[in-house]
Amino acid sequence: MIELASLSTAALHLPAILGEGAHAVTIPSAIASPEFAWAGLILLLPAISAALCGLCAAFGVKSKLPGAITAISLIAAFATTLSLYLKMPADAPRVVHLFDWIDFSWKTGGATWTQFLAPFSLYIDSLTLLWMLFVTGLGSLIAIYATEYMEADTGKGYARFFGSVSIFLFAMGSLVMGGNLILLYLGWEGVGLASYLLIGYYYNRPSAVAAAKKAFIMNRIGDLGLALGVFLIWINYGTLEYDGIFKALAHTADPASGASWSAAMIPYCLMLGAFGKSAQIPLFVWLPDAMEGPTPVSALIHAATMVTAGLYLIARTYPLFALEPHALTVVAIVGCSTAFVAATIGMAQYDIKRVMAYSTVSQLGYMFLGLGVGTTFGAVYHVFTHAFFKALLFLCCGAIMHGMAGQLDLRKMSGLRNVKGFGVISWTFLIGCLCLAGFPFTAGFFSKDSIIAQAFASGNPTFVTLGWLALLTAFLTAYYTFRVWFRVCGGPTKYEPGDEMHGHDDHGHDHGNGHGHGHGHDDHGHGHAAHGNHEWHPHGPRLAINGVLLVICLGAVLAAVPAYMAMRGEANWVETMVQHSSAALPSAEHGHGGEHAHHALSFTGIEDVHKATSVVASTVGILGILIAAYFHLLNRSAADKLRQALLSNSLTRWLPLAMENKWYVDEVYHVVFRFPASVLGHVFHFIDKHVIDGFVVNGGARVPLEVGRLFQPLYNGALQGYAATMAGGIALIAAWVFWIWLHGS
Amino acid sequence: MLSTLTSLLLILPLLAAGLVALSPERLSKWIATAATLVIFAVSIAFAWSFTGWTDGSIAPRELGLSIMPSLGVNLSLGADAVGAMLILLTTFLMPLAMIGSFTAVKEREREYYAWFLLLQAAMLGVFLARDAIVFYTAYEFTLVPMYFLIAIYGGAERRAASIKFFLYTFFGSVLTLSGVIYIAAQNAAAAGSAWSFDLATLADFASTKLSPTQQYWVFILLMSGFAVKVPLFPVHTWLPLAHDQAPTAGSVILAGTLLKLGTYGIYRIALPAAPVGVVELNQFFAILCIIGIVYTALICWVQHDAKKLIAYSSVSHLGFCMLGLFSLNSIGATGSVMYMINHGLSTGALFLCIGMIYERYHTKDMDQLGGLFKRMPVWSFFMVFFTLASLGLPGLNGFIGEFLCLMGCFTAEPHSVSGYPGVLGPWYALVAGSGLVLAAMYLLIMLGKLVWGPLKEPHGHDHGHGHGHGHDHAAHSDSGLPTDLSAREVGILVPLAVVCLAIGFFPKPMLTAIAPSVDQTLAKYPKLVEQYAHDGSLIKPTTAKDPRVAMAQPSSDK
Amino acid sequence: MSNMMAQTINTLAVTDAQTVNAALLVSAILFACGLIGFLSRRNMIIMFLCTELMFQAAALAMIAFGNIHHDISGQVFVIFILTVAAAEAALALGLVVLLYRRRETLDSEAWSELRETA
Repeated sequence: MIELASLSTAALHLPAILGEGAHAVTIPSAIASPEFAWAGLILLLPAISAALCGLCAAFGVKSKLPGAITAISLIAAFATTLSLYLKMPADAPRVVHLFDWIDFSWKTGGATWTQFLAPFSLYIDSLTLLWMLFVTGLGSLIAIYATEYMEADTGKGYARFFGSVSIFLFAMGSLVMGGNLILLYLGWEGVGLASYLLIGYYYNRPSAVAAAKKAFIMNRIGDLGLALGVFLIWINYGTLEYDGIFKALAHTADPASGASWSAAMIPYCLMLGAFGKSAQIPLFVWLPDAMEGPTPVSALIHAATMVTAGLYLIARTYPLFALEPHALTVVAIVGCSTAFVAATIGMAQYDIKRVMAYSTVSQLGYMFLGLGVGTTFGAVYHVFTHAFFKALLFLCCGAIMHGMAGQLDLRKMSGLRNVKGFGVISWTFLIGCLCLAGFPFTAGFFSKDSIIAQAFASGNPTFVTLGWLALLTAFLTAYYTFRVWFRVCGGPTKYEPGDEMHGHDDHGHDHGNGHGHGHGHDDHGHGHAAHGNHEWHPHGPRLAINGVLLVICLGAVLAAVPAYMAMRGEANWVETMVQHSSAALPSAEHGHGGEHAHHALSFTGIEDVHKATSVVASTVGILGILIAAYFHLLNRSAADKLRQALLSNSLTRWLPLAMENKWYVDEVYHVVFRFPASVLGHVFHFIDKHVIDGFVVNGGARVPLEVGRLFQPLYNGALQGYAATMAGGIALIAAWVFWIWLHGS
Repeated sequence: MLSTLTSLLLILPLLAAGLVALSPERLSKWIATAATLVIFAVSIAFAWSFTGWTDGSIAPRELGLSIMPSLGVNLSLGADAVGAMLILLTTFLMPLAMIGSFTAVKEREREYYAWFLLLQAAMLGVFLARDAIVFYTAYEFTLVPMYFLIAIYGGAERRAASIKFFLYTFFGSVLTLSGVIYIAAQNAAAAGSAWSFDLATLADFASTKLSPTQQYWVFILLMSGFAVKVPLFPVHTWLPLAHDQAPTAGSVILAGTLLKLGTYGIYRIALPAAPVGVVELNQFFAILCIIGIVYTALICWVQHDAKKLIAYSSVSHLGFCMLGLFSLNSIGATGSVMYMINHGLSTGALFLCIGMIYERYHTKDMDQLGGLFKRMPVWSFFMVFFTLASLGLPGLNGFIGEFLCLMGCFTAEPHSVSGYPGVLGPWYALVAGSGLVLAAMYLLIMLGKLVWGPLKEPHGHDHGHGHGHGHDHAAHSDSGLPTDLSAREVGILVPLAVVCLAIGFFPKPMLTAIAPSVDQTLAKYPKLVEQYAHDGSLIKPTTAKDPRVAMAQPSSDK
Repeated sequence: MSNMMAQTINTLAVTDAQTVNAALLVSAILFACGLIGFLSRRNMIIMFLCTELMFQAAALAMIAFGNIHHDISGQVFVIFILTVAAAEAALALGLVVLLYRRRETLDSEAWSELRETA
C-alpha cells in the first residue's frame, strides 16, 4: 500500500526515466530460420535425459548412470548453445519453428478467420543466448558437482534427482527460448514443478514436503498473474508471439496517448508473475524454505537460474513495461524494499544456507531495482554475475555441509580454512563472498554499482531515495556475507558434526521395519557418524566438487571482464547482448547521468555519478566487511553482547526478534490467508453437508414422504378399511359431480 | 462403411452385455475385456473413417430405422467431431475400467461386467444420438446400470448413494424431457402436425421460431437436467456421495464419461436450441460456475478422504469447463471441449490410483495413510503424474483446456476491445482463476499426505501378516496384490499417462477438429450478445413481466 | 337391418317410467345392502356374497338405463357380466377355500399383512 501511495507523488513520464527519444529503439522483426532447427537440441537433450533417468528409475539402476547421462546431455546442450551463439548473426532475432503446439482458428460471427497460435517455436536473440549460456553452463557444472554430492543416494533417489534436474533444464530452456508467452508459461510452470520435486527431494522430512508445497503454491499465485497478463496481451495485441507483440507495439506505441485500462494492466499482471518466480515482496517467503532441497538444487534453481526467470520475463517484455511508467516505478520500489528487508533478515540467521537464501532474495531485489530505474543492462549484468558467484557460494555451503555431516550452523563451525581438505572450499568461498559484498573490482561490485548509479543518475527523487536505501543494503550485505565467512572459515579451528540430514533418502526411517543399521550401501565414513559409534572426522570433497568449485570461481572472477572492457573504452559484452534484444534501451541513456553536474552524490566531489557511486559503494562495502571482522573474527563475544543489549532493552527488543523471525511474514500470511481460508473450507463443508444436501436436497426429498405419511392411517391392512376408503372416495367424487351439476358451469 | 461402424458401436456393447450375462462366472471378466477392446477397435475404425473432423458436420447422415412413425422418432445415429471424441474417450476408458476391476470385484462378477457393457451402450447411445427421443432414452438408461453398480458393488452407504444418484439426476432430466417435448410440440404445431424429434430440426426450429420468452423457459427446462448431471453448484451434492460409494471402475466411468453427458447435452442441445435463454442467463450460470469452483475447492481443502477430495475437485473442475462454454466464444468453448476430454482422462486415472490404494489398505483416509512413496514408488509416480495433469500443468493434458476456458471467460467482454462476443469478462476470470491456486493447494496437500512424508499405514495392517518383518514380500497376501503395483495395474495406467502426455504436447489435431464444430454451434451468438450488451435484455419488457402468458399461448408468436 | 332391429326392440321394451324408476331403486337398495354388508362383516364368504349383490345391482341398473336410452348394449353388458361373474365366483370361492386352509378361519382380519407400520 505504501508503494501505491507514493506512486501518485512520483508521477513520471517515461522520457524522464529513459531519456529523450526513448522510443527510438525499434526491435527488428524476427527472421524465420529453419536452418537453426538444431537449436531445438537444447530442449531435446534434457528431455531425453529426463526420460532416460525415468527408465533408470523404472529398472532400478543402482549405478551413477543417471548422473552421467544428465551431465553429458547438459554439457551437450551447453555446447549447442555455444555454437548457436557463435553462428547466430546479430542483425535480427531468429524464430525457429519446431512443431505446432496450440493452433486453431475460427470465424464466429465474422467473415474473417482469427487464429490462436502458440507453436513450439524458439525466439532467439542475444538476450536468449546470454541467458541460455549461463543456464546450460552452470547447469552442466552443477550436474557434475551433484554426481559426487548425491552419491550417498545412488539407486532410485539418484535417478529421481537427476530426472528432476533434467526436467528443470528442459523447462528453463522452454521458458527462455520459447517464442511465445504460452511456451514461456509452459516453462514457467515446468520449472515450478522441477523446483517442487527437488525441494521435496528428502520426502521423509515433513519440513521439506511443506517447503515444496509452499514453493509451488506461492508460484501458482504468480502464475495466475502471468496468465492474466497473457490474456490481456491477447486482448490488446491479438497475438502471443513476441515477434507479433513487438510489431504491434511498433505500430501503436505512443506513451503520451492514454492506453486503455487493459493495456495499462498488462505490466502489473506480468509483474505479479515475476515477483512470484523471483521471490520478491509479497511472494518471497517460499525461497528461504526452498533450502530444504539438496544444495546443488539450491545453487542451480534457487540462486542462479530459475529465480531469474522473473527478471527474464520483464526484460523480454520491457517494451510493454515502457508503455506504463508507473509500472517500472513499482518494480523499482518493490525490488529495493525486498533487497533491504531480505538483507535485514539475512543478518540475523545462523543457518549459512538460509543466509545465502536471503541474500539471493536481496540480490534479486537489486536486479528488479535495476529494471525499474531503467538500466536493463545493469539488471541483466547483475543476473549474470550473481549467477556465478551465488552458485559458487551455495556450492561451497553444500561442500561444507557434505563434509561436516550436514552441519550448517555458523555458531558450530570455525576456522575451516585450516582443516585438511577444506582449503579449496574456504578460498573459493572467500572470492564468492567478496563478489557478493561488492568488494571493489569484483564482478558483483561492477554490476551492483551500475544499478545504484542509475538510480542516482535518473535524478528522479523516488529513485534517488531508493538509491540511498540500496547503498544501505549494500552495507548490510557486506556485513552479513562476511559474518558468515569470518565465522565459518576464519578464527580458531573448531567444529562439531551435524545430524547428517542430507543424502539419506532411503535410510534412517527404516529401523522400525526391521532393516537394521548396517544396511549395505557404500557409505564412506560419514553416513552414520551422527550415531556416535566411532570418532568422527570431517572429510574434504573430492575431484568433482573441488573442480567445479574452481571452475565456477573462475567464472565468477571472469564475469568482471566485461566491465574492465568497458573501462578500457571497449563495448561491454553483456551490454552489447542486452542492446541487441527486446530489453534494449536508447544508447543515449547510458551517458545520461554523466551530464548531471549536480547529483545526489555530489558531496564526494566527483562529477560523474557512476564514479561517485563506485567510490561510495566501495566505502560502505569495506566498512561492512570491517564491522563484520570486528564482531565475528576479532571479538566474537561482542556480537553476542550487542544482541543481549538489544534484547534487554524493551525499546529495541523487537528489532533482533523480528529479524531472526523473518519479520513474522509467514505468521502474518498464516493469519491473513491460510487460517481464514481453512475456516471457510470447514464452513463450506458444513454448509454443503447439512444445508445444501441435508436441508434442501434431503429435505425436498422428504416432502413426498411426509405427504404420504399423512395418508398412512388409511392403509390399515383390513379389507374393510380399504373398501371403506374406496367407498368414501367414490362418495367424494359423486358429491363433486353433484356439486357441478347443481351449480352448472 | 461409416454408418455400419456407427451401428456396430451401439449394437456390440448390447450383444456383449447379453453374452457376458449368459457366460460362466469365471469367464465373464475376460469376455467383457475382450468385448471392450473390440469396441475400442471399432471406435478407432469409426474415427478413421469419420468425415466430420474438418468441417464440424455431423456424420453419418443416413436416416435411421423408424421407431415411432407417428411421432417421427427415428433411430438416427451420427456424431460431430465433439461427439466422436467423447466416443473415443468412452471406448478408451472402458477396457481400462474393466481390467482395473479384476481384483476389486470378487462376487457377482458376471452381473458386474454385464452392467458395465450396458452402461457403455447407453453412453455411446447419447453421443451417437441424432434424435431427441433416442438421446433421452440413452441418457436416462445410463442411470439403470450405474444404479445397480453403486447399489451392489459400492461402499458402506451404497444404498443411500445409489438412490440419491438415481432420483436426483432423474428428477432433473424429466424436466429436460419436458423441454424437449415442448419444442417438438411447437414444431409439430407449426409444421401442421408432422412430428419430428430430429435434434437438428428441433434446434433450428427453437432457435429461429420460438419467441425470446419461450426460449428463456426452454433453456431453463433443458438446463435443469443437464446442470444436475454436470453438476453445477448448487445441485452437485449427489456427486461426492455417488463417487465416494461407487466401485473404482464406476467412479472412473462416472467422472470420465457420465458427467460429460451433462456438458455434452448443453453443448449439443441447449446451446443450439435456446440462444436467447443462454445469453439472458449467461451471467447467472457463470456465477454459479464460479461459486462452484471456489466453494468446492475450499471444501476439497478440508477433506480427509482422498476419493471424496477428488470427487469434489470434479465439481470444481467442471465449473471451469462450464465457464468456458458459457463464455460463448471460440476460445472458451474449444477449451471447454478439451476440458471435457482431459478431465475424463486425468480424473479417471486419479480414481484408478486411489482404487489401487483402497484395494491394498481398505481405506482412503488420508489421516491413516501417508508417505506411500517409500512403499510404492511406482504407484507414487503415477499419482504425482496424474495429480499434476489434474492441476493443469502445461505439457500435460489438463493445461490447454483450463487455460483456454479461463482465457475465453476473460476475453468475453460485452464491450470488448478485442471484439470477442460474450457477457462475462476479466472479473469473472479473476475470481475463477483463484481456483487455479486453490487447486494447487488441495491437490498438493493430498500429495503431501499420501505420497510424501514419513510412511504411515493403517493400524493393524502390518501385524496381520507375520510380525512386520517380511512384509515387503508378503504384506498383501489377503488381496493377492504385490506391495507396489502389479504389471496389470501399470498396464492400465501407462496408456492413460501416454495419452495425457501426448495431448499435452500435440493437442493440435484435437483443437483443429473441435474448432469448426464449436464455430457452428456458436454462429448465432455474436449478434445476440451484442444486442444483449446494448439493450440489457433480449426479452422485451412487456412479455418479460409475465412469461407465463407466452407459455400458455405459444402459437400467438408466429 | 340394424334399424329394423332397433324398432323391434323399441316396441318390445318396457317403457313405463315408473317401472324403470322402481328397477333403479331396487338396484340402489341392492347396492347399498351389498356395500354395508361388505363393510360390516368379517366372514369372507359373506363378504364375497355381498360383492355379488353389488355386482347384480350394477347389472340391474344397466338394464334400467338401457331402457331409458333405448340402447340394447345395457343388456348385452349384463349377459357379459353374468358370464364373468360366474367365472369369478368359481375363482373367488376357490381362493376363499385356499385362504381358509391356510389360517383355519374365514375371518378377513387374519389377512392384514399389507398394513403400513406407522
